[in-house]
Amino acid sequence: MAAVFFCVGFGGGARAEEAWLHELKTLPVQDAGRVKPFDTFAREALQLVYGKRTYKKSSAVEVVFTWILVGDHWGDIPFVEVRHAGLKEALSLEKEKKLFTPTELMNNPKLPVVFSELQTKRERQEKLNPYFQAVQRLESQLGTLQILSRGQIPGMQPEAESDKWLAPSDLKSPAKEKFVALVQSFSAYISDKNSETGKDLAQKVTDFKASTMTLAPEKAPSIGKIKLEVTYNDVHPFMWAWIAYLLSAIFFISYAVRKHPWQNSLGWVFLAVGFLLHTAGMATRVYLAGRPPVSNMYETVVWVPWGALVFGFILERVQKSKLVLISSTCIAILCLILTDLAPAVLDPSLQPLEPVLRSTFWLSTHVLVISVSYAAFFLAFALGDLILYYYLRGEEKYRPQIQAGVMSIYRAIQIGVVLLALGIILGGIWADYSWGRFWGWDPKETWALIALLGYLAILHGRLSGWIRQFGLAVCSVLSFSLVIMAWYGVNFVLGAGLHSYGFGAGGVEYVTAFVVLHILYVTYVTTVRYSRMKIKS
Amino acid sequence: MSRWLEKVFKFLCSLKLAVIVILLLAAVSAVGTILEARYDAEYAQKLVYQSPYMYGVMILLCINLIAVMVDRWPWKKHQIGFVMAHVGIILTLLGALITQKLGVDGTMSFSVGESRQRVTVKERDLVVYGSLDGNQVRPILQMPTDFLRHRPSEKHPTVVQFGQDKIEIVEYVHLAFREERLEPSDRVADGPAVRFQLKNGMVNMTQWLHREKIKPFEALNLGPASIVLSDGSYKPKAGVNEVILSPSRHPGELRYAVYDRNNLLKTRGVVKESEGFQLGWMGLEMHILRFLPKAFQKVTYTRAESSSPLAHSAIRFRFRGAEYWLGIGSLLRLYTEDKMFVVAFVFRQLDLGFPLTLKKFEIGHYQGTERASSYQSVVEKPDHQEVLVSMNEPLKLNGFTFYQASFEKDEQGKPVASVLSVNYDPGRWIKYLGSLMIVFGSIWLFYFKKMFLKKTKRPSGG
Repeated sequence: MAAVFFCVGFGGGARAEEAWLHELKTLPVQDAGRVKPFDTFAREALQLVYGKRTYKKSSAVEVVFTWILVGDHWGDIPFVEVRHAGLKEALSLEKEKKLFTPTELMNNPKLPVVFSELQTKRERQEKLNPYFQAVQRLESQLGTLQILSRGQIPGMQPEAESDKWLAPSDLKSPAKEKFVALVQSFSAYISDKNSETGKDLAQKVTDFKASTMTLAPEKAPSIGKIKLEVTYNDVHPFMWAWIAYLLSAIFFISYAVRKHPWQNSLGWVFLAVGFLLHTAGMATRVYLAGRPPVSNMYETVVWVPWGALVFGFILERVQKSKLVLISSTCIAILCLILTDLAPAVLDPSLQPLEPVLRSTFWLSTHVLVISVSYAAFFLAFALGDLILYYYLRGEEKYRPQIQAGVMSIYRAIQIGVVLLALGIILGGIWADYSWGRFWGWDPKETWALIALLGYLAILHGRLSGWIRQFGLAVCSVLSFSLVIMAWYGVNFVLGAGLHSYGFGAGGVEYVTAFVVLHILYVTYVTTVRYSRMKIKS
Repeated sequence: MSRWLEKVFKFLCSLKLAVIVILLLAAVSAVGTILEARYDAEYAQKLVYQSPYMYGVMILLCINLIAVMVDRWPWKKHQIGFVMAHVGIILTLLGALITQKLGVDGTMSFSVGESRQRVTVKERDLVVYGSLDGNQVRPILQMPTDFLRHRPSEKHPTVVQFGQDKIEIVEYVHLAFREERLEPSDRVADGPAVRFQLKNGMVNMTQWLHREKIKPFEALNLGPASIVLSDGSYKPKAGVNEVILSPSRHPGELRYAVYDRNNLLKTRGVVKESEGFQLGWMGLEMHILRFLPKAFQKVTYTRAESSSPLAHSAIRFRFRGAEYWLGIGSLLRLYTEDKMFVVAFVFRQLDLGFPLTLKKFEIGHYQGTERASSYQSVVEKPDHQEVLVSMNEPLKLNGFTFYQASFEKDEQGKPVASVLSVNYDPGRWIKYLGSLMIVFGSIWLFYFKKMFLKKTKRPSGG
């Protein structure tokens, strides 16, 4: 019955009736170590519990607000996401289903056993494999729902004495009364949804918002910043950026085939639009978080294609080859789509930094330089892919493209090697400065070194004549696996324990497939080329 | 002969050797990272990064670098980048070698108010103390160990001889979890142990209490009451409810006496294993689940399946026919008829030559959470000046550098000690100089050379 109630209740509604939602979005709340708009909090909570940032047609703000006010009504609605097959088996859940009701999960007789196993792992401080990561997620899903429905998070009202903001259940006057009024207005609105009740509810939200900062006005966050974050959430600049890049790539490629000048111009226009959105999105993140945009996987996956594009622009000027630009655009499309597709692996939320990383100068120089070097290698990799395709189509026919492309690969690898060496050394100096050791064979730094050594081997092999044009294209594709290992693999493969891949969490299987497919591609092109040369001679 | 030498030299300075060495270095490092993930950093360091293979590859690399520079002599202007980068690599490796051989890299942990003069380093020692009269204990043997590289086994035990006695180390487990339990014994030197249950409508708890023979009593403070296992000499204290258990004349029997805060005797009697008695307040009842007139704490270690910060190294050894486990950072008493030995497996400690005192330790939190955003220590130098050591802000003193590394916390998560890492690095400036040369050398190599060549002659294709 509750399900029907809510489906009807939150199904649609005119925009005027949803004015309260827009008001509620910009309510400042304190959660996970920072002050954020309620909109961001709601999106993150819904992402955690449901796996997406909107629920059917309702916005995250609406859903999460009802969790707080009438949590019990959600008890029998299947919306808690459990994906891990092993965990479903352990809890005897239906394998085909992905969503479960909070009640059936809470009352699951095997749940306490599974949770206590996790607790034992934690007490022993062991690394968690994907199964236990899934258990951990379930624990925080149910935990979040529980404390939300009790009104224990998020913090809404700052006090002068304490660092911790008061949650809905502990609110003090005047916010307490305003919140009660808000709840009453909300139930009136739910039982009879019309423009009148909607208007009243919006007014009550506004009143509540005005009341929360009265106890400690000095702790009120900047309204502009809160509004900017809501806009950032709503606009989703990186999605529009990849759409623009995709259009740009389509026009560039069609120009390469048909040679209409307008296709070229449109390609440039869309590229410029995409790049502007991409830049603006990153700038907003930097402003909101107050730190360089390279503190987690998500941020580097957004930052690296930006660097690849910049190198693309430079090399396009120097080499006069459209190939570079198309390659870097493809990288940007791939990376930005990835950030949209896999929010569970690439967490887009703005998290506070670990204490040791809180040195903006070193974080910006060291990590930015290393990730920019990855961008250069990424560019070489994409170029290698394209050039191998030219080899497949006909070496003689595409000789000029191949020659220009290989030269760009060589330049990109050179840029990458210098930047990676610099980045590794800067990392060493930072480590020496803050821990007293220049080099400690930590897996992350060691894999960065291994990647550097791989590319150095290529450069020396080219000097010695072992590697020529075709070889350079092949190597640029293969050696990017080292960068993938240093960039992604150390955190997700080594970090989660060596026996844990193949289970599914963290996207290891997709990345492995990506690497294996490229190895197969390279092998295929090499054998085709070899057999062609044999026939000729 | 000279042609043969020439051939060898040609190979040593060849690019082919360079490529081989670079790939070897990469391969060995990759193996190291896998071992590090499987076990821990120490394991990977000892068995890979500081192994003879690694040194061999490094030496080959240096020979290659030097040979290629000798081969190109006299150097031309456009080779500046190449020479700089290669000299830079050699210097960096040299600096790293000096750091490793002559440097100190240790930690120091102290709680507020404590003074420390010693630094704990990674090297592990086996130390044996001996006592002839049972009182005065003095060190009789200190042996550096490297069990990771030289693993003892049942077949080839590591024998440690001291006087007439010896211990034979038969197993080393690098990562293991400690488990302890009390077991009955028949040795004169062991004291009694009791496992009891305290129960009323609200409370239900079970505990072991073990008294060592040399101590007159062992007390367990449970808040509202204190449980004391005494040898009979214990006098009740005022201000606390006490249950005193002491030996009876009959074997297998315990005498009990319950006193309240005002030192008034509430009840007394005798009790046996699996019997109980009323304490006379709060409806509490005490059950003796197990009584061992002589017990010893048996420590065993089980191998950890995967790496964990709680797992640590342990050795298993034989002494006069009996087997014992000994974990790193702990010690064990061994008794013979007339002698007592203490065996300790510990991290080596170095004397700094001057003390440091922790005056204050503070943790900053991200707002509204338990998550640490920063931590810092205020320490007092020997000249009584107070200085702040925080993350990214170390203290330099008498050639040593002190860094805020981490902190230790108790079960409630409250900080109990600040951990500084202490470092002395004579190779630092060589490494820095080398690094600088690598960076400028490679920039020169890739960019300026090209411009230089353009000016002097036409660039050759390909």
